[in-house]
Amino acid sequence: MDLSYVARILPALLNGALTTLALFALVLPLSLPLGFLITLCASCRFKPVKWLAQAYIFIMRGTPLMLQLFFFYFGLPFIPVIGPYLRLTSFSAAALSFTLNYAAYFAEIFRGGLLSIDKGQYEVSHVLGLTSFQTMTRVIIPQMIRVTLPSIGNEAITLVKDTALVASIALPEILHYAKGIVTRDFTTTPFIVAAFIYLLITFIVTVLFKFVERKVNYE
Amino acid sequence: MPMIEVKNLSKSFGALEVLRDVSFQVEKGDVVAVIGSSGSGKSTLLRCLIDLEAVKCGTIIIDGRALCRDGVYAPAREKKAIVLNMGMVFQHFNLYPHLTVLKNLLLAPRLVKGEKGDAPVERAMALLKKVGLDTRAGEMPGRLSGGQKQRVAIARALMMNPDILLFDEPTSALDPELTGEVLSVMRDLAKERMTMLVVTHEMGFARDVANRVIFMDGGRILEEGPPEELFNAPKQERTKAFLSKTSA
Repeated sequence: MDLSYVARILPALLNGALTTLALFALVLPLSLPLGFLITLCASCRFKPVKWLAQAYIFIMRGTPLMLQLFFFYFGLPFIPVIGPYLRLTSFSAAALSFTLNYAAYFAEIFRGGLLSIDKGQYEVSHVLGLTSFQTMTRVIIPQMIRVTLPSIGNEAITLVKDTALVASIALPEILHYAKGIVTRDFTTTPFIVAAFIYLLITFIVTVLFKFVERKVNYE
Repeated sequence: MPMIEVKNLSKSFGALEVLRDVSFQVEKGDVVAVIGSSGSGKSTLLRCLIDLEAVKCGTIIIDGRALCRDGVYAPAREKKAIVLNMGMVFQHFNLYPHLTVLKNLLLAPRLVKGEKGDAPVERAMALLKKVGLDTRAGEMPGRLSGGQKQRVAIARALMMNPDILLFDEPTSALDPELTGEVLSVMRDLAKERMTMLVVTHEMGFARDVANRVIFMDGGRILEEGPPEELFNAPKQERTKAFLSKTSA
């Protein structure tokens, strides 16, 4: 592999990596709280809310992310009356569909996390006089985070790679640029460089999550 | 005025009646042991007293205030005040695993009573010293033995200055050689005239420390009295059968 060639194509690929990083930095912090909210709704005693949340999870997990991406980018403007006002930029459509999709997965991860917490934790909190909100924020969520962190880290890495899908709605990111250069120069080098950029990002994400996992480990 | 007054309490889980027309009183400073085979309703009775289970009908009066009168519960605020007058120690400790021993003790006083500064910390350290664990204040609960965990749980309950302590099989999850340290803390509390209601399988403790023993069977109180009477001269056949099995 010619290093000077790599140096020439690198700026374009790194430019694409910015899109990946921007999406990641937006989607992860938005989808986590949304996912937790959906978990709470899915276990709500008021049946319609529960059904709505369960239907949401079913639809978002049961259809391809690419289809959802198309829906928010190409589909929304076709909705009668309000459609013309729903013309999103490709970045907004990508951020929106990724957030809504990942929230559904996080909701299921959090549900598992909540199930793993002993009911004695709720009981002792009640007996000690904590409100439901205090019990949730000071007792349950800290324990849930520790249990779910490995799965959340897994999803975070998937998210990095899923950003490659946005090439399909003409939002330029790493793979989009790589493919362009491959077609132009008849060489697979850009793909290899792209792979290394993805690996670098996922490596950083892995290290970050390992660090946070150590921080919240209380054994 | 009795500290705990229970009248005609009934409770069922679906078709299963777990408490049938239970009535009893506990005076201030009493240590009452509740014994009986598993499934007799003794744990459920304790849980009803502290609002972890809702009763179908009956009356629960704690220190003169009705938690529940003829099956109708007090308003939420009043209920909470009544519950806060009691502490509970669970079979499985239920310590907060993500908080240090000291923070386990401080969480509720800070959040619920709004205590700030050094005062609650000093009280926590004094209570830990009392249960013999002041050197472990910074430890995570996962690093303690079962007996140590239960002693921390007792100290945590005492942090809220309750007038009544409820113990739900406090030594049942412990290795036999660890029950002694927990029972000795409970013995100290009894000496200080803490009102205690103890569901237990420790007949030795019931005999030596309790001043009254309640024997439950099939959701009813079958027999109650001072330990020497109940253990040495039980009136009911069921009590005799139970005692002969456990004292073996």
